[in-house]
Amino acid sequence: MKTGRIFSVFCVLSAIPVVFACCARKTGPLLAQDYSSWKTTHTEELQYPIPGHENTYRRIFISPGGERPEIVSRDGETRYAYPEGTQVIKEIYAREDGRYASGPSMLTAMVKRKDHPAARGGWLWILTKPGSGEETIISEEFCITCHANANEKHPYGDRNPKGEFRDYLFFPFPPPAR
Amino acid sequence: MTPRGRFVPITRKINSIILAGLVAGIGSITLYFSRDISLTIEQSTREALGQQGRILFTSVENFMLPGEAPLAVEFFKDVGGVTPGFSVGLFRVSGLPAFSDNETITAVNRNLGRERFAPRDRSENIFTLPVIPDGIRSALGSPPRDAFFRLSEDGRILAVVYKPLVNLPKCTGCHGSDHTIRGLLDIRTDITASVARQKTVLLVAGAFFFAVVAAVWLFLGRFLHSAVITPVKKIGAVCEDVTAGKFSSRVAIENRDEIGRLGETVNTMVEGLHERFKLTKFVSASTIRSLKDETQTRRSRLTIFFSDIRGFTSFSEKNPPEEVVRLLNRILNMQTDLVHETGGDVDKYVGDAVVALWSGENAERKACETAVRIQQSLSGDPASYGGLTVGIGITAGDVILGMIGSLRRADYTVIGDTVNTASRLCGSAKSGQIIVSAETYRRLGSDATADGPYKMKVKGKEMYIKVYILRDFSRSGS
Repeated sequence: MKTGRIFSVFCVLSAIPVVFACCARKTGPLLAQDYSSWKTTHTEELQYPIPGHENTYRRIFISPGGERPEIVSRDGETRYAYPEGTQVIKEIYAREDGRYASGPSMLTAMVKRKDHPAARGGWLWILTKPGSGEETIISEEFCITCHANANEKHPYGDRNPKGEFRDYLFFPFPPPAR
Repeated sequence: MTPRGRFVPITRKINSIILAGLVAGIGSITLYFSRDISLTIEQSTREALGQQGRILFTSVENFMLPGEAPLAVEFFKDVGGVTPGFSVGLFRVSGLPAFSDNETITAVNRNLGRERFAPRDRSENIFTLPVIPDGIRSALGSPPRDAFFRLSEDGRILAVVYKPLVNLPKCTGCHGSDHTIRGLLDIRTDITASVARQKTVLLVAGAFFFAVVAAVWLFLGRFLHSAVITPVKKIGAVCEDVTAGKFSSRVAIENRDEIGRLGETVNTMVEGLHERFKLTKFVSASTIRSLKDETQTRRSRLTIFFSDIRGFTSFSEKNPPEEVVRLLNRILNMQTDLVHETGGDVDKYVGDAVVALWSGENAERKACETAVRIQQSLSGDPASYGGLTVGIGITAGDVILGMIGSLRRADYTVIGDTVNTASRLCGSAKSGQIIVSAETYRRLGSDATADGPYKMKVKGKEMYIKVYILRDFSRSGS
């Protein structure tokens, strides 16, 4: 066998593991497409400005699997725990020229995946544009930093007056009585 | 089959493969580990900065919630000088240093609807670090994130993180809800020593890599040279010697491996070749050709030459055996040389007789010219040959060529009527005569001088045959 042929085989064999190592694994979509048929987690119109979403209009949906979270009270502390796979999808309607757009310009979502390596606080924090098919998992602290305030007193919804652990949802489901 | 393409020494091929293997193997491992070490150091630095950022963020949060901004200012002053090479800054998203004016106090009082905090009398800029606009842009991306980068400053290398401070829901009471980021933490730490260590690691790894490659390359090269290349060259040299006819060469290999066995096989082969070469002296060229070409029995047109020494029996009785053999060999040598010079082949020696063959174009003329030169040699220098003479008979015709003999001993020789006729003509030729058949004579050309034709009664034939006694050629060698 010619030297060149041996060298070529050697190069090809060497390149195989490199190619495999460089190939990123693709996963399927994390968010359901029919979320708009789900129940919303809030009873009020969410159009007041808030940090993170500022002056947008928001609607928040929760998947049927998350409608019955485990709520445990022990030693005076109440803790919510949403089941694995629960999806909470927030539609963001941009405000332009003093009016809200007719459709959402962005979706921000939480998917309960405790064991996922990118999970923070047991949730995957996801950003997507409707119809784009691209879902971005936010690995930075930005989302959870703000949502961690849902587990203490805060200025939204029922304001969590007892400082319950609401599993990072400002508007937990079912909506707490005020 | 002859190999095509440019000759490339095997040493170069093997060295190339070894070098490529070493560079690819050791190089990739060295590169991988060097890179991994650098990335680990980089990652550790980032994690440390990120951790420091989170601690500072939590500290600021806890100072600010009860409205203790002055405590936060003092805290930053203290933390900034806690270790050499470590500094902390706090900026608004606009790039202005925090606490440098009363803008925030004014906004907070406005949001609270009362004069909760009194404006400061004088401005004090406690954060003097120069702002890095690219850092701000990177940290305020979508989503906002910790931005890490390096900065060279006064011969030092600084690792910098810009950490966005999120306007948390619990901050909105004072700061309002119309913005997401309150400001940016700027944490800098001197990593000059770490970078120097990274460079040292890379340099040492590189030097180690080259040293190992060179050492292994040299070792393998020398090993292959002594184990393969040198023995192969020795075998090649022996083959070249044998090709040139030098059969005394032998492969001197002491390796107890495949190469050693090959050398032994070559030596055995050379010995066999030598024996066969020596045998060629005793076997006609046509026999050797027949062995080489595996020629089958066939019919062919040949010119047959017979010579026989006249008075040899009497001569051998009168002279000592050594002298008889010496003179016989001299005459046979002379005849054989002349036969070969004209392209003939000595088929066999039968006592003092020579049987020779010619084939192809002008075969009859070549045989007759050889006969004339033999007679001229003998008559020109009779003393050298003990005064012995020969009679020669030549004719041409179809003969049968084949391996004649037994399974143990055989000759590739000719048989047939033409052979018998030539033998009879030789037997009839007197001392110094060359008797050729008439048909052969007709093919010699006009320059052949001969006596005849004569009618000759040949044993085994009922009819007389016409023959000529060949004298000479007027244009010899034409």
